[in-house]
Amino acid sequence: MQKIVAKPSSLRHLNKLRWFILTLVFSILVLLPFLHLYQTYVAAHAYDLLLPNEKTVYDAMEWLTSPFVKNPEHDLDMLKGTTWSGTLFGLKLSDPLAVLSQVATSLSLYWPFLLTALIPVVATIILGRFFCGWICPATFIYELNDTVAAWLRRAGVPLGDKIYDKRIKYLVLTVGLILSMLLGSIMTAAIYPPAIIGRELYYVIAQGAFGSGAVFFILTILFDLLVARRGFCRYMCPGGALYSLLGRYRLLRIQRVVEQCNDCKKCNVVCEFGLDPLQDGFGQECNNCTACIAVCPTDALKFKIQIHDQPFQGPGHLGHAYRNQKSGDQ
Amino acid sequence: MQRRAFLQSLTATAALLAMSPHLVAKSQASFRFLRPPGVLDEEEFLQNCIRCGKCGEICPNRTIKYFSTENGVDSIDTPYIVPREQACILCMKCGDVCPTGAIQSIPREMNAILEKVEMGTARVDRSLCLSWQGKTCGVCYRACPLPNVAIRIGRLEQPHVLNDCVGCGLCERSCIQIPQAIRIIPSKSLSKKSG
Repeated sequence: MQKIVAKPSSLRHLNKLRWFILTLVFSILVLLPFLHLYQTYVAAHAYDLLLPNEKTVYDAMEWLTSPFVKNPEHDLDMLKGTTWSGTLFGLKLSDPLAVLSQVATSLSLYWPFLLTALIPVVATIILGRFFCGWICPATFIYELNDTVAAWLRRAGVPLGDKIYDKRIKYLVLTVGLILSMLLGSIMTAAIYPPAIIGRELYYVIAQGAFGSGAVFFILTILFDLLVARRGFCRYMCPGGALYSLLGRYRLLRIQRVVEQCNDCKKCNVVCEFGLDPLQDGFGQECNNCTACIAVCPTDALKFKIQIHDQPFQGPGHLGHAYRNQKSGDQ
Repeated sequence: MQRRAFLQSLTATAALLAMSPHLVAKSQASFRFLRPPGVLDEEEFLQNCIRCGKCGEICPNRTIKYFSTENGVDSIDTPYIVPREQACILCMKCGDVCPTGAIQSIPREMNAILEKVEMGTARVDRSLCLSWQGKTCGVCYRACPLPNVAIRIGRLEQPHVLNDCVGCGLCERSCIQIPQAIRIIPSKSLSKKSG
C-alpha cells in the first residue's frame, strides 16, 4: 500500500479563513446601518424620547462601540459605506467597477475618486478575482444558496444546472457601460449584487423598507437556485467580468501538482465557478477561493507565483498508480 | 436551443432596459424633492452619483432618502430630501463623504454655504401663513439657520424670504400650518438658464 500524503497542508484551512472573512464583511454591512442609527440618536440628545426598540439599538451599539470610541457622533464616521464605495478607518476605497462606470458615464476623470480604486485594482492584478471569493457580500449569500441547492438536490428536488457561455458577462459589462453613457446615469450600480446588498441592507435597517434592488437580487438568487449553479456570478456579473479581465495575468495562481493528483475530480465538483482544476483549467475566472485546495484529499493543489496557468499536465500520477494497482489485483 | 432562447431573452431584456426611460417617462407633476446640499447640476449629478449611499449613512438628521423608481430609472437609488418630512441642517457632512464629488465638499461656514448651496428657495403662501393672516407666528423665522440672511420678519412676524435662502427646508419642516404655508421650490425646477 502506498502512503498517499505525509502531512496535510495548512493551505486547506484557507477556505475556513475565507468564510470567516465573508461572514465578517457581511456582518459589518449589517452593523453599519445600526451604527448610523445610533449616531443619529446620539446626535439628537434625546434618549428618553426613543421608542423601546430604538433604545435597544442604542444600548446595544453603545455597548459595542464604547470601548473604541469616545465621541460616537463623529468618531464612527470613519466607518461608512459599503464594498461598492466605502470609508474604512479613514481610508476611502471603491470598487473598480464603480470608478469605471463613473468615468464612462461622466466622461471625465475625477482624481480623488480614481485613487480610491487604486488598492483594489493593484490587488486584483496580483491576486486575480479575489474580491468575488473573499469579500463580496453577495458571494456570502450565493454560497449559502448553493449549499441549500446541494441539500435540495440530495433530497431529490430536480434543480437546473445549465451551462451557458461565460463570455456573456463581458457583454453585460459592455452593454451596462454603454447604457450608462447613453442614459447619463450609472446603471451598472443597479445590476451589481454587492452594491445592491450594501444599499438594501441600509435601506431595510435604517430607512425601514427594501428598495427596488432587492427584487433584482432575489431574482438572481432564484436564477442560481433553479436555473444555473452560481449562474449570476459565472455568466452575468459585470463586476466579475471586470475583475476577470484585470486578473487575467494575475501572479497568484492555484496549480495542480500532477505527481500527487489521484484524479478524484472532487476539485471540479466543488468549484462553484465551473472551472476544471482536474485538467489544469483555471483561467481568468478563478477567484482563488481555495475551495478546491480544501477539498483535495491528496494536497495536489498548491499556490504558485506565475502569470500563466500550467498547460494540461496529463492525468494525475497517483491515479495512474491506483489504476495499475487495480489492474494488477485482477 | 437553450442558449439561443436565453440569448434572445437577454437581448429582449437589454432592449427593454434601453427603452425603459421612455416607458417610465418622468411625470412633470412629480412630487417635489430636493437634492442634498452642494450637488452638481441635475444632469451632471446623475452622471457622477455612483449610488453608494454614504451621504444618507452619514446624515446625522436622517434627512436623506433614496429613490426607488418614483423618479424614473435614471434616478434609482439617488439621494433626495423631502423637507416637510425631514429637513437639511446644513452640516455639510454628505459633501465630505461623497467619493465622486457628485455632492461637493463645502466647509461649514456661512459664506461658503451661501455661495455654493442652492437646494431651492422658500416661498410663502400668504393666504395660508398665519402671520400674514393677522395671527403672529414667526416659527419659520425662528427655525431658519440663517436668520436675517435668508429670511426676515416684518410687522406681525410676517416672513419675507430673501435672495440668499439656500433651501434647507427647516422653515417648511417647522411650519405649524397644515398644509404648510412656506415651501421650498427646488432650484432645479426654477427657471434657470442652462449652461
